[in-house]
Amino acid sequence: MLKPLSNDDWHLESAAHLLNRAGFGGSPDEIQNLADLGHDQAISSLIDFEKIHDPWLNPDWANPDPARQAHIRDVNQTGTPDQKKELQKEQAQLQQLQMLELRGWWLQRMAHGPRPFQEKMTLFWHGHFATSVEKVRDAYYMWRQNELFRRLATDNWLRLLIEAGKDPAMLIWLDQAQSQKQHPNENFAREVMELFALGEGHYTERDITEGARALTGWSLDRLNQRYVYRPGLHDDGIKTFLGRTGNLDGDDVIAQIVAQPQAARFITAKLWNYFAGQPPTDELNDALAAVFRQNGNNFKPFLRVMFRSEEFYSDDIVRNEVKSPVQWLIGSVRMLECDLPPTLVGWGMLRQLGQDLFAPPNVKGWDGGITWITTNTLLTRYNDAESLVQGTLPALTANDFAQKPGGAGGERAMKVLQRVRMGGVNLDKILTPEERASKDSMVASLQHRLLQTMLNGDQEKALNDFLNSKEQLTDPDILTAIRLIMSTPEYQVT
Amino acid sequence: MRKIKIMKNEITLQTRREFLRTTVLGSALSWTVPAFLANTLTALHTEAADSATQIVTGKDNTILVVLQMAGGNDGINTVVPYSNDYYHQARPRIGLSADKIIKVNDEIGFNGAMGGFKNLYDSGNLAVVQGVGYPNPNRSHFRSTEIWQTASDSDVIEKYGWLGRYFDNACAGADPTVGVTIGNQLPEAFFAKTPQGICFNNPQNYRFVSDAHPKPGETDMTEESYKKLNELNALEMSAPAPDGGPSMTLTTDENNSGGSISSLAAGMPMTGGRAVDFITRTALDAQQSSEEVRNIAARVQNQATYPGSQLGTSLKLVAKLIGGGLPTRVYYVSQGGYDTHTNQLGTQARLLQDLGDSMKAFVDDMKAQGNMQRVLVMTFSEFGRRVSDNANGGTDHGAAAPMFVVGNRVKAGLLGKYPSLAPQDLFQGDVKYNVDFRNVYAGILENWLKTKSAPVLGKQFEPMQLV
Repeated sequence: MLKPLSNDDWHLESAAHLLNRAGFGGSPDEIQNLADLGHDQAISSLIDFEKIHDPWLNPDWANPDPARQAHIRDVNQTGTPDQKKELQKEQAQLQQLQMLELRGWWLQRMAHGPRPFQEKMTLFWHGHFATSVEKVRDAYYMWRQNELFRRLATDNWLRLLIEAGKDPAMLIWLDQAQSQKQHPNENFAREVMELFALGEGHYTERDITEGARALTGWSLDRLNQRYVYRPGLHDDGIKTFLGRTGNLDGDDVIAQIVAQPQAARFITAKLWNYFAGQPPTDELNDALAAVFRQNGNNFKPFLRVMFRSEEFYSDDIVRNEVKSPVQWLIGSVRMLECDLPPTLVGWGMLRQLGQDLFAPPNVKGWDGGITWITTNTLLTRYNDAESLVQGTLPALTANDFAQKPGGAGGERAMKVLQRVRMGGVNLDKILTPEERASKDSMVASLQHRLLQTMLNGDQEKALNDFLNSKEQLTDPDILTAIRLIMSTPEYQVT
Repeated sequence: MRKIKIMKNEITLQTRREFLRTTVLGSALSWTVPAFLANTLTALHTEAADSATQIVTGKDNTILVVLQMAGGNDGINTVVPYSNDYYHQARPRIGLSADKIIKVNDEIGFNGAMGGFKNLYDSGNLAVVQGVGYPNPNRSHFRSTEIWQTASDSDVIEKYGWLGRYFDNACAGADPTVGVTIGNQLPEAFFAKTPQGICFNNPQNYRFVSDAHPKPGETDMTEESYKKLNELNALEMSAPAPDGGPSMTLTTDENNSGGSISSLAAGMPMTGGRAVDFITRTALDAQQSSEEVRNIAARVQNQATYPGSQLGTSLKLVAKLIGGGLPTRVYYVSQGGYDTHTNQLGTQARLLQDLGDSMKAFVDDMKAQGNMQRVLVMTFSEFGRRVSDNANGGTDHGAAAPMFVVGNRVKAGLLGKYPSLAPQDLFQGDVKYNVDFRNVYAGILENWLKTKSAPVLGKQFEPMQLV
């Protein structure tokens, strides 16, 4: 199990697979460069991201704002109804704008940032801890959690779980901020075991009750917008949690969870599923968990072994994963070497395709896999491909925004959309004059770029028939051919 | 290798038997079988195995229309206890007096804007289920909506929706249009183990959009090519039978776009297939259902006049799809705006007027179509509102509220008991529920959709006798 892939099997195809899975894919040149590095160096170039300079700036509002929080508190306590209403409106608009900016900020990092693997991990943790702005209702908290996932992307399981639990967005999302010794709230205590670290069947209802008691005291300082421990809320009694007894606190609870062998099995299975596209067999999961524990529950060395393993490059893994909407959008932009659409449009596409960043459907996150694909999301992918390639506005996105009551601002959003300029694909960037010289070489080049494999004979014939139907092959015709390649089942997998 | 050649919709008895023998009853279907065929196979399988799976024809099955009143409708000013002193004491600003309501009896009346509902009530088409809620009510829109959509206990987070579990349990192998949402996004109620149901706002958008503008008579090469890219490998597929029996090649003729549009995505075991095979099949389903939906929308005429609102437009479209015989068991429409924290009177009246008028038009349309016997509409909102009004002439998030059930075969009238408004009977300022909404769901599942409710709802709830 987990034997390193032989060097003979490291080639363009495996390099493309690594870049698709550990990142969001890339151009043929990027894949070639990765292949040239050799397997170990290729992995290192992605996962040792600390070595890569990251000049990205944070949104300028991404700081705690105690003065603003005090103002909100004062108006809510002593303001007139009109003042309260005015403030509510102001807050709602501000949050909408900041969330839009945050979504754009993250999408840009994924598409054009220097550390794609770090973003891929951040996306994993976002799906894992599945916190939604629909309840948190604060862009700063959502950004802060996102940064936490980025900072600890490949760190230590115990450290990450404790910090994620004390994160303000999480304190709100799972009601820990409201928990106190008289009425311990069990929401976080339950989900940290069921969804984050152990899985159902590995704890008892009593562990939840006792864990919730121990976790009391973890609280939110709303004024300074940060975690605070409040001894007055903490239950100092004796608790028994997962076999350990004493005056336990929240840190003890998390440590006791991570000490369970199941905690390693659980998270390594989930990581394998995320990167490989399907759950590991029991045998493979044992091997993965063993590597993880041997490495002190640190993610980086575990991931290095995983990306180096034969299993990761086996036939039933390569090109057998349904692209998530984010993978579809970011991967398309990277493979086509074009700009992301404006955030309002890109976000609209992701919503339509079922992956609204910062707003997962529930605390269990996105199901992923084949559940991304329904008749309507598939048609939407095919139509969004048209928008990306030709640089036209997707009709569906416009409708989405116009009709969402109070959502992105209705009419205001429509006005913005009418001014939106989409980039579209620049053919000079992705096809050489030689490749454009014949239809055959062009079709081959485009398939290589977009699929890293070939369509079947019938599909290739359909594509050629399309090109042959044009008397003179214009740029728009070639763009349509690209869109058609993206409108195949084959393009939806990676 | 022996091959069986089958023309679409022309599966002969002989080949059916062959299928039954070789693949269907023997073991799991490979997911590479195109859906239109799988539907037939599932139907045969169902007859043979007497499973819970329902066969959907689009002609004679019962249909459920779920109508979400999003935002938390104030039930107390909807079904108004106008002669109750507690009511007027709690609502000095927005309490409705006897002359502002439409009387149902000496105690209760409809909001004055609900003339449409009163008509339905008088004609015996409307059941009002009073005081519907659930234990330990949650006052967050997000969470309480989720509870209603997934039919979970308030402290349990369910992954799948109640209608999704109905599809999973009872509609395996059905057409993808077994669930239709008019809107941009699938509601959580539809979330299922095997994704199912389609959604669109405008049927014109539920399609592959071509960039070409062919002259009349000319072929749209973009669209032609899209079809070929998504059809060829689906139409000429070779898959080894799971039991090692004969392999089969499936062929269809291209001109046949009607007939069954079905999905193997629904409920068939997904063993041994690659992701791309699943997508190929979904692509075929998409192509066919898209044509079907647009054809119906273009062909069927409405026989009633609907309000021009979003809800009216949605129900108008649902009526067309029902009239056109789409094999759908559940339609989902929604109306937003009920979060009336301030100046509630005008806002709520406008919404309820729209609701009543849209519903009335829909019922008239169904009656004219001759489909009223088959249709049941159920409304819900994530919560009712606080008994006392607030300083801004509005109400804050509350708990139990009434549900409306409309149909020809409903037990018409006021069902259940109006919750007490006496201060000592309230919990944190909210009325207590008398009926758990899952009793209503159970009643609809058992008595209307004719399926066992316990596997769908996770446990046995006493089915409320609604029809």
